Amino acid sequence: MAFQLAFAVLLRLGLALSPLRLILKDDDLLSSPLTSHSRLREGIYLFQHGIDPYSGGTFRHSPLFLSTFATVLPSSGVVCALLWLLVDAAGAWALVQIWRARSRLKSSRRDEVIAATYLLNPYIFLPSLSLSTSTFETTLHLISLMFASQGQASPALLILAISTNLSLPSLMLLPPTMLLLLTDPVSHLASPKPFPAKLTKTLPLLVEFLAYFAVLVLACSLVAGGWGWIESTWGAGILLPDLTPNPGLWWYFFTEMFDYFRPFFLMVFTMHLLIYVAPVCIKYQHDPLYATFLLLGIIAIFKPYPTLSDPGLFLSLIALFPETYPHLRYPIVTTLLHLHAALLLPLFHHLWLATGTGNANFFYASTLVFGIANGGALLDCAWAGLRVAIGEADERWVVLQE
Amino acid sequence: MPSLAVRVRSRIRSALSSGDNGAKVRRRRKLTAALWSNLAILRVLLLVAGYAWMLALPSPQLGGSETYIDENALQPAQVNTYWSWGEVRRADDYLAELEALRDRNASSEERARYFVDEFTKLGVPASTQSYSIRSSLGVSRGVNAYAIYTAPRASGTEAIVISASWLSLTDGYNLRGLSTVLALSAFLTRYSHWSKDLIFVLSDSHLDGMHAWLSTYHGSTQSNMQADELELSSGVIWTALNLDYPGHSFSHLGIFREGLNGRLPNQDLLNSVRVIAHHTAGVPVILYDHFDSSEWPGRQDVLKLIPSWVPQPIREHRDVIEYGYRAKNVFRQMAYQARGRASGAHGLFHQYRIDAVTLFAVPSNGPHGFYALGRTVESTLRTMNNLLERLHASFFFYILTTPGKFLKIGMYLPSAVLVAVALMFGGMGEWVSAGWVEIVDDDGGADAKESGKQQKQKRWVTRSRDVVPALGIMIATHVGGALLFLILSSRWFIAQQAALALPLMLLLAAIPLGVQLIFTDAYPAPAAASSTAAPLSLLLKALTLCLASTLISVTSVLNFSLAALLAVVFGAPLSLAGAPASPTAGLLRYVEYAVLALGWLAHGAQVREAVWQWEVLGVWFAPLVCVVYAPIMLQAGIVALLPP
Repeated sequence: MAFQLAFAVLLRLGLALSPLRLILKDDDLLSSPLTSHSRLREGIYLFQHGIDPYSGGTFRHSPLFLSTFATVLPSSGVVCALLWLLVDAAGAWALVQIWRARSRLKSSRRDEVIAATYLLNPYIFLPSLSLSTSTFETTLHLISLMFASQGQASPALLILAISTNLSLPSLMLLPPTMLLLLTDPVSHLASPKPFPAKLTKTLPLLVEFLAYFAVLVLACSLVAGGWGWIESTWGAGILLPDLTPNPGLWWYFFTEMFDYFRPFFLMVFTMHLLIYVAPVCIKYQHDPLYATFLLLGIIAIFKPYPTLSDPGLFLSLIALFPETYPHLRYPIVTTLLHLHAALLLPLFHHLWLATGTGNANFFYASTLVFGIANGGALLDCAWAGLRVAIGEADERWVVLQE
Repeated sequence: MPSLAVRVRSRIRSALSSGDNGAKVRRRRKLTAALWSNLAILRVLLLVAGYAWMLALPSPQLGGSETYIDENALQPAQVNTYWSWGEVRRADDYLAELEALRDRNASSEERARYFVDEFTKLGVPASTQSYSIRSSLGVSRGVNAYAIYTAPRASGTEAIVISASWLSLTDGYNLRGLSTVLALSAFLTRYSHWSKDLIFVLSDSHLDGMHAWLSTYHGSTQSNMQADELELSSGVIWTALNLDYPGHSFSHLGIFREGLNGRLPNQDLLNSVRVIAHHTAGVPVILYDHFDSSEWPGRQDVLKLIPSWVPQPIREHRDVIEYGYRAKNVFRQMAYQARGRASGAHGLFHQYRIDAVTLFAVPSNGPHGFYALGRTVESTLRTMNNLLERLHASFFFYILTTPGKFLKIGMYLPSAVLVAVALMFGGMGEWVSAGWVEIVDDDGGADAKESGKQQKQKRWVTRSRDVVPALGIMIATHVGGALLFLILSSRWFIAQQAALALPLMLLLAAIPLGVQLIFTDAYPAPAAASSTAAPLSLLLKALTLCLASTLISVTSVLNFSLAALLAVVFGAPLSLAGAPASPTAGLLRYVEYAVLALGWLAHGAQVREAVWQWEVLGVWFAPLVCVVYAPIMLQAGIVALLPP
């Protein structure tokens, strides 16, 4: 088993040092305008030359990225590729820690398999090779979940506040994370019960989160020298000013739209994303880790500027829930849809933007296939998570609804 | 009709109410049972429908649409042409000097210098570019000459290329093509109506020279190519016309259009050339060098293809001959596209988003010559000069059945997709039968005897499907395919190809056998019909079928001809793959699949050509065959080796 992990690490190291990253650097599937490494470097350059990077339309990273990469962290060269690899490794480590917390084992034979599958998941390692900052977001999600699973409230909330600062949709993870902090990460899927703790206990956690968040916002404003960064970073996720194609479902819809409908549909799309939080948390109140997992899947499908990392995180988390596997209804169909989508996305992107023989509709169609693949995986996981509770049913009975 | 509305409403209500879940479940079960019991028939039907559709593509009954000009700005054949007999005389003079160069075996440098001198005499800035391209087959060297005429009243951001290569796409010299380009450079630069720069390229050799010039022009480097930087440059190239005139006169203009990796130029370019050649120069346009079946030589060519045992009335039926003629055209296009080959020097342009065709002057005793060719080119250039924006994106996917008829994407795409769906259904079916097994209960005997109806009860139980070994085999075969490709493209293999091909084929085919021998000794095969774990052969077959299906449907949008080829080679063989009862029968089946997977290695010339095309031009066919096709076929063979 350790062999698999060693193989994964060596392969990743080889890939990180290979010239592949130069080819993938500005790939639309791997880095969005909000996470692109080229734009980050542009912002740092402007910042270091005394120009407000947020005054133009190119730089949309959080001031946290700006300040760390302008000072401590390297922002170019091989060192940078190694840094991204290190961040991914931290994500794999956090994933293993979550698994240990959930299975209540100090170590298990699955550990290496989980870490290796995370490191070798193409949806995870390709964005990392292209130095997309979505790798940082993914790892921060995992670390926050890890602390929450271990019951350490303050670090979990602090990291969640950071990842919310980096990407606003992460705010959706606050309710299930708080529920997780009040209970335990162990699987209760087989025995659903009402939420054991009092909901009023979430109030101190909420206050703590808001305090961290406020401090981060203040720090960001100090770095950026004003409030202008909020519109360029968080505002981009709500107002969608940059319609660079990405594997998500928003961009095409808004390129086709008449301007006077824009505000209305921007509101609809944003609200639609938020609408899932309460139902998922209520339905899976017995297992908040599973609720977080499903919400990550929903964010991956419906967030405004997704990259392949987002569905990659959701799919990697499936490794944490082996008890649901027997109840998945159509895993092969989902896998094949993902295979089709993973081949069609780069092909149609190439046909449209490189050879010019196709148009935007081609790429949009492939993002729809990708959306269906992700939606299929999400629905199947939602079903299997509830179906576990019923157990092995007599073959004369059929489970229609849970 | 209130009663209808009430009925519909009650129907919807009953469908929505929870009380009817039983009916829903029964309906769903009935549907699944029907699908499952008819799956074999459905697969055969889909396969047959897909293949029949492919065979029907050239049929005159399927028709196809008349070609038309999509872009209104083109306005083909709407201008007065000025190309006159004086220009023909000039071209004849150039031809005489070129023939002298050819006859005294002039070197590439000498030829290029001559071209540059002539361009300079005309006052057109010109330069040369020498190159050398290394490949496993050896080194090719040469010198290109080119001249750039800057349009006097335009900004020089766009350009049109008029080119000719030293060698023709038939085996001969393209001297008349070159003299036409030289004469055109003298003639076209006299006019001030050009909105795009004109670039005249006289490339050395056939494909190599043009490849070196084009990739240098677009700044793309290649480790095995050394080419001089271009001294002159212009704007973005939108259109290119490549002239190929090997004979002393011509009767028809043939259009060659296929580019590298299955790319095609925009159909508007071909249609404009056809309209212009017909109306301006009075030259009939054909596809390739295939004469129309309504003409005498064309009809004879088709009749030669039909086997002699076909009765005379059928052989000479109008529709049969028309079908034969169209089939020839479709097959030629597919043969170029599926192998990713360019049908001429124009094919190198498409990768840079340039619409390009070769105008091939079909050698004949007459009646046309420089006069007709010059007028066609002049008018075509005037037409392409009109463009203010790129040609429309929807016109790149087509199959031309005749010069004036084409099949839209919707008319041909479903044929390959149907085969892919058949394979997908096959794979899903195998996946289901790997997961479920019907076992017979003996213990319920007492009850059964009392009821007296049946002795034994059958029931379905699930069994575990461990995909890791199957995936391992698949990955191993694909890695093996990559190694095979590395060996094929190495210089020492190409040098001793005739001696090494057969041993390599045997060695590769023997590896799965050897591995199987070792493993059956180490781990005795489980009982054939295990009720707890699915047999490896079923899982491997399921995954192989699904992978093949995915590949076919994904390639079909990119390169239909390649997808059709994959559908033909994968469709029936993979559907028939299975584990026979006895090991010897299995071994025989494996040998069949191994021959299918690796037999092409024996075809030395094709292998060398494919390797050269990959190394120099970046054609994906050779790696695709090694890394995708051969491994999948071997997987189907391994299925036959495994215990059922």
